[in-house]
Amino acid sequence: MVPAYPALDDAQDVEDIITDEAGLRPPHGTAPRVSMVVEDGAFVAQGAPVACHSTQTDICFVAPMPGRVARTELLSGHRLSEIVLFREGGGNSLTHDTADAQTEAGLRRLMQRAGFWPRIGRRPFGGMPNAAERPAAIFILASDTRPHAPDPRQALEGHEDAFRRGCRALSRLTEGPVLLCQAPGPALANTDDAPRLQVVITGPRHPQASAGLLVHAEYPAGIATPVWDVNAEDVAALGDLLHTGALPQTRLVHVGGSALKTGRMVRTQIGADLRALTFRHVRPGPHRLWSGSSLDGHAARWLAPRHRQVTAFTPQAPDGAPHWLVAALTRSARPKPMIPTAALDQAFAGRLPAAVFLRALSAGDDETALKMGVLSLLEDDIALADYVLGAEAHLAVLLRGMLERIKTEFAA
Amino acid sequence: MNRGLWTRETVVVILLAAYLPLALFWLWFGGIDDLQRFALALLVIAAWQLVFLLARAQPISLSAAITALGIAMLAPEELGAVRLILGISFGTVMGELVFGGWGRNVVNPATVTLAFLGFGFPAYAWPEILVPVAWAAIPAAVIGVMAGVMPAGLVLGATIGAAVSFGFGVLPATALPAAGVVLVLVVADPVTSASTALGRWLNGLLFIALVVLFATGWQGAAPVQIAVAAALLASLAAPLLDELALAHWYAQRRRRHGRY
Repeated sequence: MVPAYPALDDAQDVEDIITDEAGLRPPHGTAPRVSMVVEDGAFVAQGAPVACHSTQTDICFVAPMPGRVARTELLSGHRLSEIVLFREGGGNSLTHDTADAQTEAGLRRLMQRAGFWPRIGRRPFGGMPNAAERPAAIFILASDTRPHAPDPRQALEGHEDAFRRGCRALSRLTEGPVLLCQAPGPALANTDDAPRLQVVITGPRHPQASAGLLVHAEYPAGIATPVWDVNAEDVAALGDLLHTGALPQTRLVHVGGSALKTGRMVRTQIGADLRALTFRHVRPGPHRLWSGSSLDGHAARWLAPRHRQVTAFTPQAPDGAPHWLVAALTRSARPKPMIPTAALDQAFAGRLPAAVFLRALSAGDDETALKMGVLSLLEDDIALADYVLGAEAHLAVLLRGMLERIKTEFAA
Repeated sequence: MNRGLWTRETVVVILLAAYLPLALFWLWFGGIDDLQRFALALLVIAAWQLVFLLARAQPISLSAAITALGIAMLAPEELGAVRLILGISFGTVMGELVFGGWGRNVVNPATVTLAFLGFGFPAYAWPEILVPVAWAAIPAAVIGVMAGVMPAGLVLGATIGAAVSFGFGVLPATALPAAGVVLVLVVADPVTSASTALGRWLNGLLFIALVVLFATGWQGAAPVQIAVAAALLASLAAPLLDELALAHWYAQRRRRHGRY
């Protein structure tokens, strides 16, 4: 019952690629107000701040490689859209003082200044957490079930100590549990490394290791109980930051998709240029590049701060307008009703009553959806349901609308 | 954007594939008369779908074939074209099309049609379900459940309930073939049955419980009549069963997390 995907991996070894250009972008769907730290054309070392949050000044967006700031694009109100950097050799990486990381405030400041903050996801509502936010629980995601996602355990090879150090540091940021979600096998960390650490075993099929569904099942997020999720590779990077003072800026990324000759694994910097990653590997003809997996990614030029996959599509030829009769027979009265099938239940890993939840979502019934735990979910988590239903229902748009509505309602 | 295939029409096509063994056995034993009834039902439903397509812009659906199969297999015999057309029109329009078409209906149009015909024209005899045809319901259910278009909990719940009540001798053997065919044709409909995991089990058990109740307490009722009445009541109770299952799920989550 496993569908065959095109462009399966031929090469198992990981290539190290640092692209010549890189783009700094805020977490997808957000545009924080920033103040620029350096001018266009200035040289920055790896890990040096390029921009910082205008009100929470400790939160920095840092350069993923030594280079020169080429172009800054800000939206109205100094909202960050993207900052493009050109790589230039010779610069060292910026080292932070880790002396005061023993206190919680010092650790927070170090993580924020070193540019770790955008790598943290938060629920409800998504985006990155506020500088002072204390999560009720932290989820460390050491398994990824998205199609063709790199195995976080492969990324952790050789970094086990750093990972445990990162777990220990993260557990100091919360009074609640630290939940380590991993595939069956030896535990990657235990309670010696972090008190209140719990290991959650996830299944092999998507979306059994989807962050939102794990949060929903294990520790539901709420307005007063925000929950963070961090990828295991980033936790190891945090451990390295605490040990060496420099935050590693590379990550294991899978480059795949139907427009590629072969899929491959690369270790590249955050914000890497997707064109450079796929250059010479795409099939002849037009293609489209997505940051993220084919299910929950989005069209982009740069690798997003939390993505570990690049997908290259062959765009489908736009089919002309259908005959009026065919259109009347098939395209009237949209969206089509969704039929509760086993496929739909599996799209939520059987963890919540799919049909009732989707009915509440499409009817805009915030109250029922809140009761069912919608605050734990983000667009990524219902991407599979959207896919299964033939992408007709636009569930991600509905979910974002509902979350925004709930947010304004509770902010008032 | 790549997309999956579990749209409404895919579900209909897979359901039709699941019903093929049942339909073929039924036609094999029934012959040209049954085929005629099926064609008539299909024609009437298609006409009403066309009316709603033109008047309300509701897309047409192949589900007409499923409804037509259910009606043709289970409707009272010797009704004549006029009564049959009347019943089918009432069932499809009031049971399905006014709600927005297949997928938005609350009761199965075939059940509504059959109940209407049964109550409206009680003088006509209900058909008898032949044993080989009833056996063919088993592969139909297996295909439907394996493909995920029939609720597995419902079919299993009903099967286990039937086995237990048959073992205790409260379910007469004469009611079994009709109950099986009605279960596969109209009760195990993914749209109008319960949609939560626990609700589906309850739905299956309720259907069998009603069949047992009618089989023991309803004097002079034909097996198909019993099964259709049980199917109607079970599908009307489905939202209630869903609510029960949801209340249980909420309570479980509250107990575990202290909040929703």
